[in-house]
Amino acid sequence: MSQDKYNKLWKALGIAVLFAIPLVISDRYFLHLMVMAGIFVMLTSSWNLLTGYAGQINLGHAAFYGIGAYTSALLVMKVGISPWIGLFMGGFVSAFFGLLLGIPSIRLSGPYLAITTIGFAEILRLVAMNWVELTRGSLGLYGIPPLTAIKLSPGFSIEFTSERNFYYVLLIAIFLTLFCFKRLVQSEFGITLKSMRDDEPGAESIGVDTTRYKLAVFTISAFFAGFAGALFAHYQRLVSPDTLSLGETFTILTMTMLGGLGTLAGPVVGAILLTFLSEGLRFVEDMVKLNVRMVIYGFLLIITILFMREGVVGLFSHYRRSGDTGQ
Amino acid sequence: MESLFVQQVVNGIIIGSIYSLIAIGLTMIFGVMKICNFAHGDYSMVGAYAAVFVMAWLPGWFGWIGSIVAAAAAVGILGVITERLVFRPLLTRRTDIDIIMVSIGLFIVLENLSQLVFGATPRMLQDPFGSATVNLGLFSTSILRLFCLAFSCIAMGFLHLFLNRTQTGIAIRATSQNRNAALLMGIDISHVYTLTFALGAGIAGIAGVLYGTLFAVFPTMGALPTLKAFVVTILGGMGNLRGAVFGGFILGVAETLGGSYISMQYKNSIGFVIIILVLLIRPNGLFGRREGT
Amino acid sequence: MDILRTDKLSKWFGGLCAVKEVSFSLVKGEIMGLIGPNGAGKTTLINLISGVFPPTNGNILYQGKNITRLKTHSLNKMGIARTFQIVRIFKTLTVIENVLTAMVNRKTYGPWSLAWGSLFKRSGAFTDNKDACVKAEELLDFVGIGEYRDELAENMPYAFSKRLEIARALATRPEVLLLDEPSSGLNPKEQNDQVEIIKKINQQGTTIMIIEHVMKVIMEISHRLIVLHYGEKIAEGEPEKVYSDPKVIEAYLGGDADA
Ligand SMILES: Nc1ncnc2c1ncn2[C@@H]1O[C@H](COP(=O)(O)OP(=O)(O)OP(=O)(O)O)[C@@H](O)[C@H]1O
Ligand SMILES: [Mg+2]
Repeated sequence: MSQDKYNKLWKALGIAVLFAIPLVISDRYFLHLMVMAGIFVMLTSSWNLLTGYAGQINLGHAAFYGIGAYTSALLVMKVGISPWIGLFMGGFVSAFFGLLLGIPSIRLSGPYLAITTIGFAEILRLVAMNWVELTRGSLGLYGIPPLTAIKLSPGFSIEFTSERNFYYVLLIAIFLTLFCFKRLVQSEFGITLKSMRDDEPGAESIGVDTTRYKLAVFTISAFFAGFAGALFAHYQRLVSPDTLSLGETFTILTMTMLGGLGTLAGPVVGAILLTFLSEGLRFVEDMVKLNVRMVIYGFLLIITILFMREGVVGLFSHYRRSGDTGQ
Repeated sequence: MESLFVQQVVNGIIIGSIYSLIAIGLTMIFGVMKICNFAHGDYSMVGAYAAVFVMAWLPGWFGWIGSIVAAAAAVGILGVITERLVFRPLLTRRTDIDIIMVSIGLFIVLENLSQLVFGATPRMLQDPFGSATVNLGLFSTSILRLFCLAFSCIAMGFLHLFLNRTQTGIAIRATSQNRNAALLMGIDISHVYTLTFALGAGIAGIAGVLYGTLFAVFPTMGALPTLKAFVVTILGGMGNLRGAVFGGFILGVAETLGGSYISMQYKNSIGFVIIILVLLIRPNGLFGRREGT
Repeated sequence: MDILRTDKLSKWFGGLCAVKEVSFSLVKGEIMGLIGPNGAGKTTLINLISGVFPPTNGNILYQGKNITRLKTHSLNKMGIARTFQIVRIFKTLTVIENVLTAMVNRKTYGPWSLAWGSLFKRSGAFTDNKDACVKAEELLDFVGIGEYRDELAENMPYAFSKRLEIARALATRPEVLLLDEPSSGLNPKEQNDQVEIIKKINQQGTTIMIIEHVMKVIMEISHRLIVLHYGEKIAEGEPEKVYSDPKVIEAYLGGDADA
C-alpha cells in the first residue's frame, strides 16, 4: 500500500516537473528538443505496441508518421479544416493504412513481414516524392498553418506558434497516449498480444483469433503514429518525403531498443535519451570535425541488443519487475 | 519500339545478374543460420571500396582482377568478423526481432563508418574495356556490361559446383536443409557457419566491384542493393539458392521494363509491388516450399 | 453418445497422403488413445480436428455440428482444446500468466471490445485480478506446478512445461481435450504423474483423445485405442485386443525396420 503511495507521489512529482520545465527554462532550442523528444515518444511507444508487445516486425513505421503529417497538412491547407480536427484525421487515415498493412501480416511473419513493411513505406515515400501536384515532391509542403489559437476572451487567446505552448499541447497528447497504452497493455487485450507474440499457434489454441488481433493492433498503432505525425506537421509547419524514410524508422527503432523493447517505460526513456544524446554528440562532432553521430547510434543499437536485452530500463531491474506499471 | 523492348530486357538481365549475385549470399546465410542480414549490401559497398584502392595501385586488367580478389578476401574476412562478433552471440536466442535489429545496427555502423573513412564523394572504378560498346542489331551495350553478366554467371556456376561437388559445400547444404540431421552426421556446425558467412559476404564483395564499376562507389551504395537482394530472396523463397538466381533476373527485367514502360520514378518500388503481390498469394515466395506446423 | 466424429477424413501434403480416409468417433467421457509408428499421421489427424489446416476430403462433426473448415480459435471457443507435441507455451510470460491468458473470455469479447473496454477499466492490471488469479492457481495446483506460479515459463523444467500446457488448455474449459504425446521425453516417475493428471481430468468429465508412444501409459489410461499406419486406420477397439492384433504388430515391426 505504502509502496503504491510512493509511486503515486513520484508520478505526481514527475508530472509537476514536466509542466514546470518551460516556466523555468526559457531557452527555445531546449524546448524544441523537448518537443521533438515528445513526438518521438509517441512514435516509439506506438511502434513498441506493435513490434514489442504484439511481435509484428514493422520496419515501415515512419510511413504512418508521414501519412498522418501529410493528411493533416493537406486537409488543412486544401480543404480548410481546423488543424485540431486535422490531428485526428491524420490519426484516422493513418489507422486505415495500418489496417491495410495489417492484411499481409495475417499470413506473413518475421523477415517476410519485415520486408513487406519496408516496401509499403518505400512505395508511399515514392508517392510523396512524385505526386508533385499534391505534395510538391521532394520540396515538401511548407507553410502549414499552426494549431489555431484558442480564444478565451475577446482580448486573450492562446497561440500555439511558440515552442512553449506547443510543448503543453504535446505533453497532454503524450499523457493521453501513454495512458491508453498502459491500459491496453495491462488488460486482457495486452496479455493476448503477448501470447500471440510468444507463440501464434499456441495462442490460436486457446481461442485467440490472431487475424483480428493483428489487424486491430496494426490499426491502433498506426493511429497513434499518425497522430504524432500530424502534431509534427503543425509544429514544424513543413513536411517532406523524408518523414517516411527508412532512416526515420531506424531512429524510432534504435530509440525503442535502447530504452527497452516490450516495456512501457522503454520507448519513453529511449526517445528522450537518444534525442539529447544526439544533441550532445553534435557538440562532439563540432569539436572533432567528424560525423561520428550515426556511427555511435549504430554501435549503441548493436551493444544494446547484444548485452542489454531489455535496454536501459532493464538495467534498473526493480523497474522491470514492475515494468508494466512504469511511467 | 521492339528494339527498345529487347534493349531493356538485355539491360534487365545484366543488372539482374548482379542482383542474383548479391542475393545468393543473403539467401545462403539465411538458409544456414536463419539470419536476415540487413547489412548484406554493405558487404558489396566494402568490396567496391577495396577495388577503389587496388585500382589506384594497379591500373588496367591486373588492377581489375586484383580488385576482384581483394574484394572477395577483404569482405570475406569482414563477413567472418561480423558473424563472430555480432551474429553468433544471438544465435541461441534466435528471435527474429533481435537478429533483424542487430543487422540494422551493423548497417548503420558500416555505412557511416565508411562515410567517415572514405568521405561522401562518389568514386569511379575504371572500366577495363575503356567504354567500348558492341551493337548486336537488336540491342547495343557496353562490353563491360556483357562482361559483368558473364562474370556473375561464372561466379554463380562456381558456387554451384562448390556447393554440390565438395565436402564442405555439401556440408553447407546439408546444414541448410536440416540442421539437426547435419549435427548428427558429425558436421562441425560452427565451422559451417563461419564458412557460410565468408562465402556469402565474399560473393557480395565481388558483386560490389561489378556494381561499382557499372555505377559508382559511395558509402550509401549498399542500401539499395540490400533491399533489392531481399526482394529477390523473398521472390525465390528464403534459403533457396536457385530461387535467388531466378529471382534476380526476374527483378532486373521487371525493373527495367517497368522503368521504361510504366514510370521511371517508381522503378525502385516495382520490386516491392511484386513481392507484396507474390506474398499475398504465396506466403513463402514463388519458389518457396510450403511450410507446415 | 459420440461427441466428435470424423467421416473419411483425408489430408494430402503435395504427393504425400498423411491421413487417409480415417473415420472414427469419440464417445463422450472416454479416453481414446491414438497410436502408430513415427510419421503415421497422428499429429496431422489432431491438427485436422483442431483446425490447424482443413482436410483435403472428408468431414468432422462435433456435437452434431459440421466443424470441418473452422479455425483453431473458433473450435477452442466451442470446447475443443489441445496441447502440442513440441510444447508451445508462452515463454516470456510467467507461469500463472500463461493460464490467465487462456481464461480471457474471448467468446464474448473480440479484440476491439477488449481494447476499448480496457481504456475505461479502473480495476488495474488483468494479471492482478483476484478472482482470475485464484482460479488460475487452482489449475496450477491441479497439475502440481503451483510453486512455479511466478516463474518465467521459459525457465520451467521440461516436464513441468508440458503440464503447464495442459493447465493452459484446461483454462479454456474444454469438452474435448486433444493431447499430443503428453509424456514424451519424461522419466518414468514424471510419466506416472502425467497419467494421474490425465485420469483426474477425465474423471471431471472431459473427453480426451491422446497420442502416445509410451505403451505403458497408453495401455493404462485409454478406454479405447485406434491405430494409424501410413495415414490409414488399421485397428480400433479395446487396448488389449488392439495390442495383440497381428496387423498392429506388423505395422510396428515394419515401422521400426523403416526407421
Ligand atoms: N505441414 C506439413 N507439410 C508437409 N508434410 C507434413 C506436414 N505435417 C506432417 N507432414 C508429413 O505427414 C506425415 C505424418 O506426419 P505426422 O506428424 O502426422 O506423424 P506422427 O504420427 O505425428 O509422427 P510422430 O510420431 O513422429 O509424431 C509425415 O510424413 C510428415 O512428414
Ligand atoms: Mg506427432
